[in-house]
Amino acid sequence: MTDSAFPQDPRAPRPADPPPAQPPSYHPGSAEPRLNRPVHERYPQIRPTSGYADPRVRHTGPGPGAGTEQEPERSSKLSARLALALTVLIGQLWALTIVVDEWMSGNTGTAWWGAGFLVLSFLVVLGLWALDPKDR
Amino acid sequence: MSVTEQPPAEGSRDTDAAQEALHDRIAADSLTTRRDYLRIVATVSGGLAVGGVAVASGILHRHGDGDGTPEPKKIADRILPGESLAFRYPGDEDRAIAVRMADGTLAGYSAVCTHLACAVLWRKERGSEGELYCPCHEGIFDARTGEVTAGPPPRGLPKVLLIEQLDGSVWAIGTARSGESLQEGLCRQQGDALRLCRGGAGAEGERSERT
Repeated sequence: MTDSAFPQDPRAPRPADPPPAQPPSYHPGSAEPRLNRPVHERYPQIRPTSGYADPRVRHTGPGPGAGTEQEPERSSKLSARLALALTVLIGQLWALTIVVDEWMSGNTGTAWWGAGFLVLSFLVVLGLWALDPKDR
Repeated sequence: MSVTEQPPAEGSRDTDAAQEALHDRIAADSLTTRRDYLRIVATVSGGLAVGGVAVASGILHRHGDGDGTPEPKKIADRILPGESLAFRYPGDEDRAIAVRMADGTLAGYSAVCTHLACAVLWRKERGSEGELYCPCHEGIFDARTGEVTAGPPPRGLPKVLLIEQLDGSVWAIGTARSGESLQEGLCRQQGDALRLCRGGAGAEGERSERT
């Protein structure tokens, strides 16, 4: 094993190195400058999130492109909106059965009230949906 | 662009291409997000609202709904006890069934199950005095009242008002919706043409109501 990054013929004559007077001073990284290039230059096919995680995450820590959630309330709000919309949808399914039942029984007025309830519920869901269009 | 593919060496000048490739990868890997689910829920909700308005507007056919007052129709010369008869009244699409029970009671109902519109059958061997039976989901209706006694149907059967003449012939003269009495249904269809509906409780001439 040689110290150089480039393998050499072991049978080739090499200059005799004088023994070091003192241990080499520590410095971070490699003695080869090309090995000290950033990772994305040395291995351009490897991306910061290759194989896992969200590829949109570009940096660690706070700031743009960071991997942590910068606004946890946003996710909670979206989950709450979705849960509310699903609840309203279940109510609509129930109301539609009532509307059909009342209409078939001849209670047209009640059926129209039910239809109004369905439309209002749809407007509520529409509002939940349109609350923040840019949210993901 | 594959992840194993080498991007151009001039990274700074090809930022747009790299961004585009990254966008492609994001788009390819993205799953259905909660926002997508929210959009789907909103779409379904709108469909339900439209369906409710359509139902209230009368998109569903009710037994007996048609143009004007239904005309009396002779459906049989005679129905013997324990027998039933399938007929259509008042329109050709209004399937109905007439049942003569063992004690002589004559009853007429819509033959369309109120659950999922299967055909309702007369089963005289079921129950104590026979039942109206829907074989699709085991729906059972009382033969005397048309009300649901078992199974999933949400409401009773619409009724068909049958009368029997002195010569034994059976006539259908009107219909009543689910939950509506025969008199209410008859008066709704006939208006003030009948003495029965003008506030009195008189009989209908020589006809004897047996339903």
